[in-house]
Amino acid sequence: MSNLEAYRARAAAWLESMVPAFGKAARKGLSEADDLALARRYQAAKFESGYAGINWPVEYGGQGLGHLEKVTFDSEEMKHGFPNAYFGISLGMPVPILMQFGEDKAFVKERVLKALRGEEIWCQLFSEPAGGSDLAGLRTKAEPDGNGWKINGQKVWTSWAQYSDYGVIVVRTDPNVPKHKGLTYFWVDMKAPGVTVRPIRLAGGDSHVNEVFFDDVKVDDDQRMSPVGGGFAVAMATLMIERYVATDSGGFGPHLDLFVELAKATLVNGKPAIADGRIRQQIARNYAMRNGLNSITARAMAMMQAGMVPGPEGSLNKLVSVRSRQKLSELAIDLRGSDGFAFDDHASQKEDWTSSWINAPTGRIAGGADEMLLNTIAEKILGLPQDHRPDKGVPFNQIPA
Amino acid sequence: MSILYDEGQQAIATESRRVLEARVSKDELLPLLEMTGRYHEGFWNTAKEQGWTALALPEQYGGLALGLVELGLIAHQAGRTLSGAPFLTSGFGCAKAIELYGSDEQKARWLPGLASGEIVGAVAFASGSDPLPAYPAIRFADGRISGRAAGVTGGIVADIAVIYAMGALGPLLVVAELSDVERSAIGSFDNSRCYAHLGFTDIPAQPLAIDGAAREAALHILALQAVITAHEQTGGAEAMMEIARDYALTRRAFGQVIGAFQSVKHRIAELYGLVELARANCIHAASREGAPDFIVAAASARLSATEAYDTAARDGIQIHGGIGVTWEAGLHLHMRRARSLAIEQGNGLFWEDILVDCLTGEAA
Repeated sequence: MSNLEAYRARAAAWLESMVPAFGKAARKGLSEADDLALARRYQAAKFESGYAGINWPVEYGGQGLGHLEKVTFDSEEMKHGFPNAYFGISLGMPVPILMQFGEDKAFVKERVLKALRGEEIWCQLFSEPAGGSDLAGLRTKAEPDGNGWKINGQKVWTSWAQYSDYGVIVVRTDPNVPKHKGLTYFWVDMKAPGVTVRPIRLAGGDSHVNEVFFDDVKVDDDQRMSPVGGGFAVAMATLMIERYVATDSGGFGPHLDLFVELAKATLVNGKPAIADGRIRQQIARNYAMRNGLNSITARAMAMMQAGMVPGPEGSLNKLVSVRSRQKLSELAIDLRGSDGFAFDDHASQKEDWTSSWINAPTGRIAGGADEMLLNTIAEKILGLPQDHRPDKGVPFNQIPA
Repeated sequence: MSILYDEGQQAIATESRRVLEARVSKDELLPLLEMTGRYHEGFWNTAKEQGWTALALPEQYGGLALGLVELGLIAHQAGRTLSGAPFLTSGFGCAKAIELYGSDEQKARWLPGLASGEIVGAVAFASGSDPLPAYPAIRFADGRISGRAAGVTGGIVADIAVIYAMGALGPLLVVAELSDVERSAIGSFDNSRCYAHLGFTDIPAQPLAIDGAAREAALHILALQAVITAHEQTGGAEAMMEIARDYALTRRAFGQVIGAFQSVKHRIAELYGLVELARANCIHAASREGAPDFIVAAASARLSATEAYDTAARDGIQIHGGIGVTWEAGLHLHMRRARSLAIEQGNGLFWEDILVDCLTGEAA
């Protein structure tokens, strides 16, 4: 058994031992407040057992291991439905970027440890009403104020802002230069005066994203994490941190086995659906697609183990898997006929086709809309030109509205 | 078997690409479309000279003892340049059937010739639209076969064939020499595949030793061929995607290259996705020979490669506009090949059913 497989076995055994206290059954029926409290205890347990900050430096409380161990742990963890979503963004991007760009090392270390133990949560304040995919089009501004800065504006789609203690934010500090050049990057205290968080209810009924308003919020200059006007580069670095993440060829929806089970248990015109060619074709094609994605992931892991850099095809995962999950979920609901009307808004989208279906559009937009992912593939991998951009090179305050 | 190509395997890919790009051109392939029974001799001579016919066969019969991974790499390059003859895959299937299920005497008789390429082999399992019929149309009795094998790839040229036939106790695989067989050439949309119906009238044939599992054996041979064909399809799809990309980078309309329009660039990006899924499935399938999930892996490779090549041919031509539908541009060579390869070794409907049968635990 390779070292990595031994690591996987240890992690799987530990995760298995956590199921009674933190697994799906333990979470059933909990209010979100109680679930969050459970989640903090789970995160603390991970920290105590050496499964938090797996690929982070030891001096910050991490384990000093590689991406491979982290991805291995994450893909094992994904199987059990543990309450880890609250920390997904926090430990995924803002805290790692704080380690990389935070100036005050003692402060950074204290924050990192608290985040690793689940005591503090960080959010990422990037998207705005006027700029989601077009990040550099953001309008929230920071103006000099005494020795520091004063922030005014609005962010949106901020995951877990309602539970966050801190956030990283990109703001406009100079509207007189082209849009990418007038941005600056800060960390902010989410409890500071002038910060207002308002949850947004999504189509499926849950509210993990928020609007965040900034009204004359004062920040010190030592909260600045980039040169003035150099914020876009740090924002890009933030988005690059998650290059090596555990993927799910099921698009974070139900496993294909569940569809096969459903087809076996359902009749179409009096005959088993599993014998129906239309159903069989979808099973076969979805299987082939998922098997392809799994093979891409397996190859990327093998390359990393061999000290090579994985190819760019890993970027296909979210694009291909989520939209396939969306269609398959529609078909699963169709299969059930009038039995398919029922809806449980607490059901897991990894186990319930209706929950998977209603939440699928979020998956196709969050973290890069399908169209942006296609642009990235076309431009970065295939060398095709950028779209026509009328705002290119134009000072931000002269871009036609 | 690793899913990462080693240095030797990468060298096979590079060298076969170099040789094929130098020796097979569109201008030579276009006239073949209008001639029934002709193939690209330069391609086939190259395959023999380079040892590709021997690649995946045992050393004791003149083979090189490599496997699906290496032959798949050759097939990928052959797909890129539009291989000029089908015999690499048909001969491989024929030889594997003899190697896996034949007697020592049968192996000694035919494998060396198949390995050197002097003998052209074919596989004849289909009856009409059914790639692997429950009741094969060809009957075997007293050491002879009679009946008609429909649409045999390479059938116009092949010297021997492995045939799925009906014996007294059920289906079985037999091998027969084709010298006295009545061949009716099929005028096809992809003529260099040398398709023919083969009519057998009391033709001597030898059963291959199979212990009552002829269907399983035939499916295994089809799956081996399907993995090779999937590589060829993926190579063709990749070439077509690159041709479309290159055209989109040079052709201008409305004051810019057409690749700057999202309707065009997204279409090409989608092709990239299909090609990479097919490639990943191919690499995986080639590494699973001998494993319990080989049939599932082969079916996945086959389905995703067919989708990739059909779509790349369709969209690649669309991106070219008018020039794309001309005879001279030759993009129709890929469009034709995408369809001929989609049918050879079992069509998509066949492999979808095989795959679902495997997933639901029914015997494939």
